[in-house]
Amino acid sequence: MTIEPGMRWVDALTRRQALRGALGTGVALTAGGVLGACGGDGDGGGGGGGTPATSSSTGDAELKPGGILRVGATGGGAEDTIDAHRPTSDPDIMRVWNMYESLAVRTPDFEELEMLLAESIEAGKTPKTWDIRLKPDLTFHNGKPVTADDVIFSLRRIVDEKDPKVGAASIGYIDAKWLKKLDDRTVRVPLQFANAGFPDDLGQYFNAIVPTDYDPENPVGTGPFKYDSFTPGEQSRFLKNPDYWEDGKPYVDELIIVDFTDDTARVNALLGGQVDAITTLPASQIANVQANPNFKVLISETGAWQPFTMRVDAAPFDDNRVRQAFRLIVDRQQMVDQVLSGQGRIANDLYAPYDPAFASDLPQREQDLEQAKSLLKQAGHEGLSVELVTAPVFQGIVEAAQVFAEQAKGAGVDVKVRKVDSGTFYGDNYLKWPFAQDFWATRVYLAQVAQGDLPESPFNETHWKDPRFLDLIQQARAELDEAKRKEILVEAQTIQHEEGGYIIPYFSNIIDGYSAKLGGFVEAKSGFPFGNYWFKNSGFVA
Amino acid sequence: MRKMILQRLALGVLTLWLISLIVFAALLALPGDAATAILGREATPDRVAALRDQLNLDDSIVSQYLQWIGGVLSGSFGTSAATQEPVSELLSARVGNSAFLVLVAALVAIPLSIGLGVLMAMRRDRPVDHIGSTLSLVLAALPEFVIGIGLILLFATSVFQWFPAVSLIAPDQRAWDVPDVVVLPALTLVLAVVPYISRIMRGSMIEVLESEYVTMARLKGISEREVIWRHAVPNAIVPAIQVAALQLAWMAGGVVLVEFVFSYPGIGQALVGAVENRDMPVVQTVTILGAGIYVLLNLVADLLTILVTPKLRTSAR
Repeated sequence: MTIEPGMRWVDALTRRQALRGALGTGVALTAGGVLGACGGDGDGGGGGGGTPATSSSTGDAELKPGGILRVGATGGGAEDTIDAHRPTSDPDIMRVWNMYESLAVRTPDFEELEMLLAESIEAGKTPKTWDIRLKPDLTFHNGKPVTADDVIFSLRRIVDEKDPKVGAASIGYIDAKWLKKLDDRTVRVPLQFANAGFPDDLGQYFNAIVPTDYDPENPVGTGPFKYDSFTPGEQSRFLKNPDYWEDGKPYVDELIIVDFTDDTARVNALLGGQVDAITTLPASQIANVQANPNFKVLISETGAWQPFTMRVDAAPFDDNRVRQAFRLIVDRQQMVDQVLSGQGRIANDLYAPYDPAFASDLPQREQDLEQAKSLLKQAGHEGLSVELVTAPVFQGIVEAAQVFAEQAKGAGVDVKVRKVDSGTFYGDNYLKWPFAQDFWATRVYLAQVAQGDLPESPFNETHWKDPRFLDLIQQARAELDEAKRKEILVEAQTIQHEEGGYIIPYFSNIIDGYSAKLGGFVEAKSGFPFGNYWFKNSGFVA
Repeated sequence: MRKMILQRLALGVLTLWLISLIVFAALLALPGDAATAILGREATPDRVAALRDQLNLDDSIVSQYLQWIGGVLSGSFGTSAATQEPVSELLSARVGNSAFLVLVAALVAIPLSIGLGVLMAMRRDRPVDHIGSTLSLVLAALPEFVIGIGLILLFATSVFQWFPAVSLIAPDQRAWDVPDVVVLPALTLVLAVVPYISRIMRGSMIEVLESEYVTMARLKGISEREVIWRHAVPNAIVPAIQVAALQLAWMAGGVVLVEFVFSYPGIGQALVGAVENRDMPVVQTVTILGAGIYVLLNLVADLLTILVTPKLRTSAR
């Protein structure tokens, strides 16, 4: 229990300690079940059917301070960055989580928004204005105190119109010109429209706070580890931040992050003892690594989803019957089994399963080839032939495309899988492909809608713009009463379930591997490896 | 002779220029540019526009090429789109690492395969020859990444843990500072080229051993060792030189796959990453480097052939 993130917050403590204390080791699975039950989970075979609960449960091990932790990250290359606001690849994101901090962030179990640098983020009379209050006595790695000026500088740097950063996609709607310093620790943030979901949009790792004199060449943050060296595409090194605000953390003296573009090389580096932990262990390697007593496997159920994207304004998908037929083509369990080797659970074409407003009462969509055929016939698309564009940009995506093409044959649809490289996929046709794929992390519902389902969303890949849906989202954003908001959001999800452009076959697990000498890792529904990449919580077992 | 060398060098430069044009055209044909490739999933239109502006990608593609080739003529290989560092700085450590790997492999592979070839020829149709021939056929049929993975299983992870499975070289080190990471990649390259050179050596050695002057030498009572190393090998080695040069040139390219398997920080890895990033200056520089080695090695092989062949040596004068 000593390594629980966010222990200092009483509300966090009671809720999660109750869960963990009572349920012991099978935390990921059991907690998932409890959550599902809360939402009236009635899906057939969803909730993790058959997924082995390989809870590593190092949670109880005593950790000793000291040591060098070497972590193998997935991907990366010459384009790697250490800029707080531009993370793209797995190693980039890992660096940001450990070197910088945002004002708040979802805990690995996704149950609450934990305050990191902020003491509070509170709405004014309406959710159109928000006050951010910093914790007292925070300092950057160079000793400079963290003040309201740094918050204003960071937010402006993120949404800068001339050079928008990653976070511009999540908080681009703040009224950056009118950010106001109320005192040294308080900033007033006006929004361009009321949004009750603002804290979650703000509370993302890529919205980190950096000092007003921030220089990415000599980067400074507030995180548990401070910068030492960085070679793009190879490795980066960080030293323990001795002044970190969370007492007794981090445990290790040094953190080294190594890039691995090749899955086999990454696994071999772990097995050969050249790194102590790796992200994305291929499912085929789980048994192999588990069989070795020197290694452990951490499997986390997540809300991460990898959809097929159908453009609702492009033929043939502009006809809702075609979209429905395509959703009925999918044999979801078969996809989980074949694509993920069972490491996932089926989904119902809806995202944000951990949101309290998740519409879990909607009937689970099952494969129905006859119905699909008949819908296609009604739409005048018998013997339909479509191109599905895929690229190896996320584990399992290409395989999912192939399985879909195979399943589509059953409904007489000829799906031509066109596999391109990532450069082509994200080239000129990105977000314009009529039928393609994507991958998303766990988010709360409104934050996800803002990313991909509004006309102004940066990643509206299905070109979804339903007026009834928009109206409901605006209502929900202005609503601070949770019960009322849930009612509105369930209605919005019903529309998506009937007519949306996403096919969401499953939520995938993330699988990490690490040396048995290490402890302190927790499962992460948030979809980030090693419990939000929080290496401040892990160390060598005493 | 000098005229020939100059001619060949001029032709070599022409070849390199043509290659740079072909690579340029190939990069043009690839959809997407450095900005979209670097941003990847985050490639929203406004972020792409901002980065294109920073990287000067809005210049016409022809002017980007002319800029690069102009830079090369004045001794600079341009700036990498991905890192914004000079390409020479980005590649210098990697060129050193790759060169060391190929050099180690060549120094082992060439004497070894010539020795093996001679041995198999002398023991023709005996067990050593059969085993050697079968083994080399099997090795020749295996792609080098399969050999690499096999070596990793055997010597790094599953059976023995003698050598590192992955060639991690810290940024402030070079390959020669940590020689143990070079062993398995170099062995992979050796196993990939030895079959070709040793088989050609065996073939030409057999031919020479059956020739009349070897019979003559033996009849004259010259010791067998002298017959082999003084009379037979120098005559049998000509085809082997050509093949060895081709194999070395192949290594300059084959190193890409081997480096990928071992995550070896060399130019091969840099090339794979640069193609994904549409990083034109880096792709051009690495391919020109590889092609340059190819051209040079062929020239050296031809010169060596002339030097060890008296007939050619005299006629070239």
